[in-house]
Amino acid sequence: MKRLLRTLIGALAILGAAIASPAWAQSKGTIYYMVPTLLDEFQTESVSAIEKFLKDVGYEPVTLNADNKTDLQQSQMNDVINLKPAAIILAAVDFNALKPSIEKARAAGIPVMIFDRQITTTPSDFTSVAGTVEIGYVAAGEIERLLKEKNGDVKGKVLQVLGDPADPYTLDIQKGFEEKMKPFPGVQIISLPAMQWEASNAGTIVADQLLANPDIDLIFVHAAHLAVAAVASLEAKGKKPGDVLLVSSNGAPVGLDLIRKGWEQVEVEQPLYAQAAAIAMFADKVVNKQELKPGTYKVLGLDSTLTIETWGPNLKIPGAAITKDNIDEARFWGNMKAPTDPITPVE
Amino acid sequence: MLSKDRRALIEFVLDNLVWLMLVIVLAVFSLTIPQFFQIGIFANIVEQSTFVGVMAIGLGIVIIAGNMDLSVESVAALTAMVTGILFCSQGIGLGYTLTPEWLVLPVSLIIALAVGALIGATNGWLVVKLKMNAFIVTLAAYIWVRGLVVAISGGRSAQDLAPSVRFMAIETVAYIPLIAWLAIACFALFTFIMAKTPFGRHVTMIGGSPVAPFRAGIKVDRLIFITFVVAGAVSGVAGWLLAIRTSGATANLGVGMLFNAFAAVVIGGVSLKGGIGQLPGVYAGVLLLSSIHTAINLMGLPAHYTQMILGALVLAAVLIDTLKLQVRQRLA
Repeated sequence: MKRLLRTLIGALAILGAAIASPAWAQSKGTIYYMVPTLLDEFQTESVSAIEKFLKDVGYEPVTLNADNKTDLQQSQMNDVINLKPAAIILAAVDFNALKPSIEKARAAGIPVMIFDRQITTTPSDFTSVAGTVEIGYVAAGEIERLLKEKNGDVKGKVLQVLGDPADPYTLDIQKGFEEKMKPFPGVQIISLPAMQWEASNAGTIVADQLLANPDIDLIFVHAAHLAVAAVASLEAKGKKPGDVLLVSSNGAPVGLDLIRKGWEQVEVEQPLYAQAAAIAMFADKVVNKQELKPGTYKVLGLDSTLTIETWGPNLKIPGAAITKDNIDEARFWGNMKAPTDPITPVE
Repeated sequence: MLSKDRRALIEFVLDNLVWLMLVIVLAVFSLTIPQFFQIGIFANIVEQSTFVGVMAIGLGIVIIAGNMDLSVESVAALTAMVTGILFCSQGIGLGYTLTPEWLVLPVSLIIALAVGALIGATNGWLVVKLKMNAFIVTLAAYIWVRGLVVAISGGRSAQDLAPSVRFMAIETVAYIPLIAWLAIACFALFTFIMAKTPFGRHVTMIGGSPVAPFRAGIKVDRLIFITFVVAGAVSGVAGWLLAIRTSGATANLGVGMLFNAFAAVVIGGVSLKGGIGQLPGVYAGVLLLSSIHTAINLMGLPAHYTQMILGALVLAAVLIDTLKLQVRQRLA
C-alpha cells in the first residue's frame, strides 16, 4: 500500500512539474548569454532583448553577468561548458582573453555565438555585430559634417573622451574614428580616457580641457552616459546648448534625451534590438550546425549582410546616426520600444 | 640639543608635510605645464576634490578609530542613485517635486544622510554587537550595496536633476562651485569635532589603544558604532554631491573612488594602525591627488600614469610616515 502511495505521489509530482512548466517541455534547450556587465544601459537592455527573442524561437535563456571581470567570465565559460547547453552567446569582457574559452566550448561541441563585441582571432559559429570600428567610422563622418557646418571646412579642435583605456571596445571606436579623420590635418584631436567608464571622470576631463583649450569645437564621448557628465561640466562653465558640439555613441536613452534638449547633435547608435534579434533568428541553424548562407538578410527591417569570414559567419548590421531629424524612430533602442512581434527563425 | 623654537619648527613641518608637498607639486606643475597656472584650473582642482574628499572624511574617522570602512564608495553610489531616482526627471528618475521648490535641496540631503547613516549603522552594529571583523563587514557592504544600486536602477540611469539642487554645481563663489564649498565646510566641521570635542579626542584615543579608554570609563563600543554611522552619513553626502555634479546617476557612478579616498587618507598622514591623523592633512592629500589628475589631463598623458603615480605616492606617504616617526623618536 505504501509503495503504491509513493508511486502515485511520484507520478503526480512529475505530472505537476510537466504541467507547471510547459516551456520546459517544449524548449529546444538552454542558451547561456554571457553579458560583460550590467552597469551599462546597453548591456542591461541587451539582456531583456536577447532573453525575449530567444524565448520567441523556443529556447530557455540564462544570463550570467561577468561584472566586467575577464577572469570571472572565463570561469563562467568553464562552468557553462560543463552544463552542455545548446549554445553560448558571448559578449566578451576582453576579446583576446576569451579566445581559449571559445575554443574549449567548440571542442566540446557547444556552438558559440558572438554578440556585439567581435572576436576575429579564433573561429566562432556566428557573430552579430554593428562593428565597433565602424561606429568610429560613422562618428567620424558625422563629425566631419558638423565641423564643416560650423567652421566652413573640416577643421577645428575635437576632444575625444574614451571609456576605460583597458577596454578594447573603446579602443576600437578610437581606431575607427582616428583612421577616418587622418585625411584632415586641420582637425586637432585631444584624446583622454574616463577611467572605468565612470561619468564624473568624464566630467572632470571636460572641465579641465575647457580651460586648457577654450577653443574646443566638438566633444566626442564614447558612451552616452559620459555625455551626461560632459554636459553637466559644460553647463557649469556657463555654456549653452550648441556652444560646443557634442557627439556620442551607443544610442542609450540618455543620449537621445540630450539630443532633444539641444546639447547633443549626433548619437551613433548600436542597433541593439537588431543585433539581438539576429542571434535568435540564426539560433536554430547554429545549434543544429547547419550551413549559413552568405547574403543579405532583413533583421527587424534593417538590411544586414552575412559574410563568411576566417572567424566564421559574420552578420554586420548597420549602425545609424541619430539626429534631431530621426530621433523618434522606434527602431532606435534608446527609445525603449522593444519590438513586440515574435522573431521568425531563418529558413 | 635642539632649541625649543627649532624643535617646534620641525614638529610643525612634520605635521604639515603633506601641505608642503602640495605647494611644491602645484609650483612645479605651474612652471612646467602650459595652461596649468590659472584660477580656473585651481578652482577645478578644488571642485574635483569634493567627492573623494567628503568620502575620505568618513573613511579617515573610522581609520583613526582603529577600524576600516570599505563601503564608502558603494554607499555614495547608492545615495546618488536614490537622489537621482527621486528627483531626476529623465531616464529612471521619478521627477518628484516639492512646494516650495527649494525644499528639494534639504529633503534630498536629509534622505542621502539617512540612507548613508542606515548602511553605516548596519556596519557598526555588525562590528560592535556581533564582533565581526570590520574589514570583512564593510567589504561585504561594498559588494552588496553596489548590487543594490544595480538592482534598484535596473542598470539604467537617471538624469536631469531638479534645478533647485543642480544650481549647487553651477553657481560659484570666488570661482569655486557651491558643492566644493560644502565639502570644505564638511572638512572644517569635522576637523573641529575631531580636534576640539570629547568625541574626537576619545575616538583618537580608542584608535591608539581601545583598552585604556575603556578602563577610563569611555564607552568604546558606542563611539565605534557612531564612527561607522558618521562614515555612512558623510559618504551619503558625497553621493548626493556626485549626483548634483553629474546631474543624475549611473549604476557605475563613483567606481574607483574608494581607492582614491584610501590613498588620500594615507597620503594625508592618517595611520592605518589607528590613533594618528588629522583631517586637514586628508584634505591636502585629496587636493594633491586632484592636482596630479588635472596635470595628467592637461598633459594628455595616458590615464595609466595616474594610477602609477598614485601608487608611488601612497608608498612614498607610508615611507615618509615611518621617517616622521623616527624623527619624532629622536626629538623625544
